[in-house]
Amino acid sequence: MKLSKSEFLSLSGMEHNTLNAWIEEEWLLPSGSSVDLTFSEIDIARAQLIRDLQADFGVNDEGVGVILHLVDQLYGMRSTLLELRHAVRVTSE
Amino acid sequence: MKDPYEILGVARTASADELQKAYRKLAKKLHPDLNPGNAEAEEKFKEIAGAYDLVGDAEKRKRFDNGEIDAAGAERPQQKYYRDYASSEQNHPYADNSGFTDFMDSEDGFAELLRRSARAQANRRGHDLEYRLPIEFIESIAGANKRLTLPDGTTLDVAIPPGITEGQVLRLRGKGAPGSGKGGFGDALIEVVIRLDHSFTRQGDDIYLELPVTLTEAVLGARIKVPTPTGAVTMAVPKGSNTGTMLRLRGKGAPNQTGGHGDQLVKLKVMLPKEPNPELETFVSGWEGGKTYNPREELVP
Repeated sequence: MKLSKSEFLSLSGMEHNTLNAWIEEEWLLPSGSSVDLTFSEIDIARAQLIRDLQADFGVNDEGVGVILHLVDQLYGMRSTLLELRHAVRVTSE
Repeated sequence: MKDPYEILGVARTASADELQKAYRKLAKKLHPDLNPGNAEAEEKFKEIAGAYDLVGDAEKRKRFDNGEIDAAGAERPQQKYYRDYASSEQNHPYADNSGFTDFMDSEDGFAELLRRSARAQANRRGHDLEYRLPIEFIESIAGANKRLTLPDGTTLDVAIPPGITEGQVLRLRGKGAPGSGKGGFGDALIEVVIRLDHSFTRQGDDIYLELPVTLTEAVLGARIKVPTPTGAVTMAVPKGSNTGTMLRLRGKGAPNQTGGHGDQLVKLKVMLPKEPNPELETFVSGWEGGKTYNPREELVP
């Protein structure tokens, strides 16, 4: 599902300025060009995670950046492990 | 649902501050996105979030303590978490595989497997970039060469094939975002938006045009010039034509799938002179046929 910037704002309930700041920080990486950004559902879910970190966990801006970096590595490792599991299965068959 | 104080592990007398601390401590441990492999964490997180939604709000807590509301229905609605996307989507922009590059340097079979998997990921094709390109109706029928200026100042030449329809997407191979390694470029996907035309409309492969003709041309017949999206052509208006008469210009419509063309359908519209004309008035007042004909005969009164 592709979402325009305004659709994203209304679905996520975010403020325009906050969204711009998060994109600036590269916490969110929408696709498309700078004047015509497109978002997808993963961006909405990621925005919710960032909000949970800030509002519920009391993480400050520096902390959010660190956590997202680690979270991205964690998911990267999980996906590589999944591929490895597949490779091992194929090899052992 | 269990007692919210019990879920959060605090006494009923806990202060708002203690409640928040207890909630944060549990939430940090149990947030589904920070526990991607733990199915239980999501259930537990929902439970504590629901409990905190209830007693973390001073007003709701008071009503709960007074027995006005119970814990039922305090569960949070079903929510899609980040982990649902980050784990299932193969190629999302947040993927980061830098966490174990050091493992790949050794010579064992495990390192080889890792290297193979990293190569597969390293040579990923770039993303497709999407653009919208507005064109004129005439260009959609006759085809055109358009130049799209991208936000970064570069341009993209787009050949619009004749007969393109609204919403059709043109794929320009290799004009998208760069990939990684030997992944190559993604494609540019160009969605064509056809501007409404004042004169022409299209239905399937046929093009419709309403064409004004004079009274003289309609009554006596004439050869007149008719615009088509591919240029003007001469058409015979038969003697005795009328408003609503439909004339067909074969093969002057949009190109179709089978290599042929649709037709252009021309609907005539008889126009009286713009200014009142004494000669015409004199003729019409002496014309008996004009008084007996009733074009509204079939209308319900």
